Amino acid sequence: MRVSLTWLKELVDITLPVEQLCERLDMTGTKVEAVHTRGEALKGVVVGEVLTKEPHPDADSLSYCSVDVGAGEPLRIVCGATNFEAGDKVSVACVGATLPGGLTIKRAKLRGIVSEGMMCSAAELGVGTDASGLLVLPAEAPVGAPFAEYHGLADSVLELEVTPNRPDCLSMVGVAREVAAVTGATFRVSSSELHEHGPTASDQVSVRIEDASLCPRYTARVIRGITVGPSPAWLAERIVAAGGRPVNNVVDVTNYVMYELGQPLHAFDLATIAHKGRMATLTVRLARANERLRTLDGQDRNLAADSVVIADDSGPVALAGVMGGEATEVGDTTVDVLLESACFGTASIGRTSRRLGLISESSLRFERGVDPELAARASARAAALIAEVAGGQVAPGVVDAYPGQRPPLTVRLRSARANAMLGTSLTADEMAAFLRPLGVDVAPDGEDLRCRVPTFRPDLSREVDLVEEVARLYGLENIPSTRPGGRGRVGELTDVQRFRMKLGSVLRSSGLDEHVGYSFGDRADLDRMGWELAPDEVLVELVNPMSAEQAAMRWSLVPSLLRAVSHNQRRGVPEVHLYELGTVFITAEGRKQPKERLMAGGALTGSWTGRGWDEPGRPLDFFDGKGVLEAVFGALHVGGWSVRASEYPWLQAGRTGDIVVGGDVVGWIGEVSARSASAFEVAPHVVLFEISVPALHKAASRAQVTYAEIPRHPAYELDVAFVVDQTLTAERLGSGIRSAGGSLLESVRLFDVYRDPSEAPDDIRKLPPGKKSVAFALTYRSSERTLSDGDVRPAYEKMLRKVAGALGAEVRQ
Amino acid sequence: MAISEDLRFLEREALEAVLAADSLDSLDAVRVAYLGKKGSLTAVLRGLASLPPEVRPEAGRVSNEVRVRIETSLEQRRRALASVEHETRIAAEAVDVTLPGRARPIGRQHVLHQIVEEITGIFLGLGYRVADGPEVELDYYNFTALNHPPDHPARALQDTFYVRDLSGDEAEVEGESDVLLRTHTSPGQVHVMETQKPPIYVIVPGKVYRRDIADPSHLPQFTQVEGLVVDEGITFGDLKGTLEHFVRGMFGPDRRVRLRPHFFPFTEPSAEVDISCGICGGTGCRSCGGEGWLEILGCGMVDPNVFGHVGIDPERYSGFAFGMGAERIAALKYGVPDLRLFVEGDTRFLHQF
Repeated sequence: MRVSLTWLKELVDITLPVEQLCERLDMTGTKVEAVHTRGEALKGVVVGEVLTKEPHPDADSLSYCSVDVGAGEPLRIVCGATNFEAGDKVSVACVGATLPGGLTIKRAKLRGIVSEGMMCSAAELGVGTDASGLLVLPAEAPVGAPFAEYHGLADSVLELEVTPNRPDCLSMVGVAREVAAVTGATFRVSSSELHEHGPTASDQVSVRIEDASLCPRYTARVIRGITVGPSPAWLAERIVAAGGRPVNNVVDVTNYVMYELGQPLHAFDLATIAHKGRMATLTVRLARANERLRTLDGQDRNLAADSVVIADDSGPVALAGVMGGEATEVGDTTVDVLLESACFGTASIGRTSRRLGLISESSLRFERGVDPELAARASARAAALIAEVAGGQVAPGVVDAYPGQRPPLTVRLRSARANAMLGTSLTADEMAAFLRPLGVDVAPDGEDLRCRVPTFRPDLSREVDLVEEVARLYGLENIPSTRPGGRGRVGELTDVQRFRMKLGSVLRSSGLDEHVGYSFGDRADLDRMGWELAPDEVLVELVNPMSAEQAAMRWSLVPSLLRAVSHNQRRGVPEVHLYELGTVFITAEGRKQPKERLMAGGALTGSWTGRGWDEPGRPLDFFDGKGVLEAVFGALHVGGWSVRASEYPWLQAGRTGDIVVGGDVVGWIGEVSARSASAFEVAPHVVLFEISVPALHKAASRAQVTYAEIPRHPAYELDVAFVVDQTLTAERLGSGIRSAGGSLLESVRLFDVYRDPSEAPDDIRKLPPGKKSVAFALTYRSSERTLSDGDVRPAYEKMLRKVAGALGAEVRQ
Repeated sequence: MAISEDLRFLEREALEAVLAADSLDSLDAVRVAYLGKKGSLTAVLRGLASLPPEVRPEAGRVSNEVRVRIETSLEQRRRALASVEHETRIAAEAVDVTLPGRARPIGRQHVLHQIVEEITGIFLGLGYRVADGPEVELDYYNFTALNHPPDHPARALQDTFYVRDLSGDEAEVEGESDVLLRTHTSPGQVHVMETQKPPIYVIVPGKVYRRDIADPSHLPQFTQVEGLVVDEGITFGDLKGTLEHFVRGMFGPDRRVRLRPHFFPFTEPSAEVDISCGICGGTGCRSCGGEGWLEILGCGMVDPNVFGHVGIDPERYSGFAFGMGAERIAALKYGVPDLRLFVEGDTRFLHQF
């Protein structure tokens, strides 16, 4: 809401400086977003006197003038207007001035002659609608004076943020009442005298409302014999100050009264409304199937079934509260006007205007709620002003259909209750003093107040609403700060919450940075990954996405992680180690809400630290990812887990595994496949993993951590290398050794794997074809004594025989 | 006394050799040459046995003195040489201590989650617990139970992401759905009040979604932390005092706080909370748009209509709620100029916090 300070001062006595007024409004709930100084827009525009006017030598339609602007040499200006003579006073935009339309004045050549400025029309200055010629000023206008000052435009305009609960503040009168209440100033309502003549309105117009919930009140007045033309300057300026655009005197009056009182009005050309005999008949109803209306902006619109229209016998003539129809518009030839001043239901107006993308000053006010009691008063005010600026006669009376009238509301305010809620100790009298200037009719009743609330404050319907008014007028800054007591209360995290924090902390200790990506997903990512949804799974799709890339919810963290990798690589950052703890979504036919699962995902590429001064940066691969998992499972005390070879389309075959805990697959790990790497635009060799956090938490919560004695006797250590089939996994061989190793075997650690290079010639091959060598460090230990050769050898030899028998593993000599 | 002369000659020769040795190795060679099993002095000593008995004691005494002197000399020389060699080795092993260390990489927590954890820590200290709720919500929890009228503009398709409802239910409003991406963490309030009896002291952190195109000051997804207190005798003063405590903990003890009346459908009275600008201290500068204040959260007393939806008696209990955006706090705290940086995963950004 734009509030002209000059206008406001006509309605309320303001003695505070502007800054203090703004501060006061801020602190009582009407935030001042900005203060514009209106004259500034016309900086560089001055009053000038035309000294000479000659025809342009090369263009018949232009003249070439010299203009005195009160400083320095007269300006030489080329001009296209014809409505002036030498000696006239005009407004001159000098070089550097910017006009309200955004035009910046420059020194320019027009048909070969340099023009050093521009003489302006009323429209160009934003002070009127007349664009046909220059705005010629009275002879006494002082040459050189800033135009804004001369024209009385030096005004401050406050831009107020009006919250949705305060429709009353979408009017000058409402803001003035609020200013009076918060500053203690006196507030007055302006009025104008209405003279009525001729046949009564009710003999000329009839109005029928089909549904009171769509339109609680509709009033109509008739004004005959008007002359449509430009508005007088005072009216045009008020419209501009309020942020509007002057159109003509009738339309400008309807807008003026809307800004002043908050009542949107519409003027129809009465002659264009279908008549029954001498009666123009209007109906307020829902649009019917297939009805159309060409609105004021020239658009043909199909009307939805829940749109409210004003119709005559031939069909809709206006979209109620949103926009009028083109056919019934007030134009230059209009003589008789039907003036609508009505109240429409908030819901339907909001839906209609949003659906059609037609947000107007009128629809905004109806959507917030217009006081039905206002309609007749606004109509009288507008009729009187139309008669004043456009001539004509106002027919006696107002046609007033008011099916939605409600008795005034009385709300009880218990002062004790208000104090208990606010933490204050105000008296009932003090509370009453805050409420009265807001228009609340307060009657004391013991310690309570009986409050009759004004109809223009629909937000005041409950006791708590009045408590809010007391709070903001008393001043939130005056309420003492306290804190709730804490007996018997503890703040703590749940097991799951602590687990999540620990998981994040372990992933970070393993060298991964946390990424927070979009939860949105792209259906095309299914294809980029080669991910197939299970038969009963359905992607979670948005009804109204903003782009195809964000039209669904993600079902995996992989796309988000690969996009982050790609983002880094494209910016020349090769070392990327990320994890994300985020929700994924999947649904099914028949489900309302999807399943949401928390996943932990990771992506590693490049090396850990880049090339160092004494070591090359070793490229990360599968086993660095697996190392992260080992650190995670270790720190969370999850035992009995393993990685089992597996295949997924988005991972490279042969470098992919399922993460298995206690027989359940809880996630997967692998290097990105060539196809997915190119689809997500990442360089190859990105290690990815994704684990279900609830499954991990379940495994971790089973973990039993108990103290194991620190060994007191030295270990007996032995290395052994086996030659085995290349297909035999390290895990099978290792567990074979462990299970055959006997009670003294404490640990088995793999430390070397050797394969002959596949291209190696036979004479340098060290192993038979199809074989590999796998070496283990074996640690034997007894908790009772130091072990000798004699203790270990028999167990060792037995293990070798068993492993040879079970796995065909031969000791490499 | 040929033997004594031999010994003196041997001693002179040995002492010269000791002094001539220029390394521990060559010194050891000298020791072996004189005192080793096959050394010259050893040979002389061995020869003592064959001497006539009358000269034997004297020869024995002299040869022993020679052996002690050679050994003493050897030891002195060994120490001197060892010290030199030690210094040489130390000199050779010296490094440029200004060379970079070999760090094991340690990952960073995302700045938004650092902020959320910091907020959580402050409220845990005040005796709050942490609650979560689904990101794909029902209209009822996101709007209706939070006292939004059916035609509230926030419900419009242009502001809220709706999710395809596969249950076959008909949506209240044409084109919309009863299922949506939560637009704030406030539905968490309703879930908590439905499942717990007062006293309730919780915060609800999480991701929320609004239909904004990503640009420097908007994201379609952001992070909120909601707070809710429901108890007997809770006042607006309690809300004020709690938030003042929070702001000082989060932004520092010298920041001032002001509450401006505002409007939210689910609280009444409602307020917006500003903190004094950390750069100009409240006098107005470029970073606070000349106002001296920065808006950081919204709050208010729980509206009785909200209590009505969850069956809490507003005559017995009162409460307050507040909500804040982690992105905004992070942007203010660290001067991040473009919110999109939070979701891009640029490691050069992540490593700054």
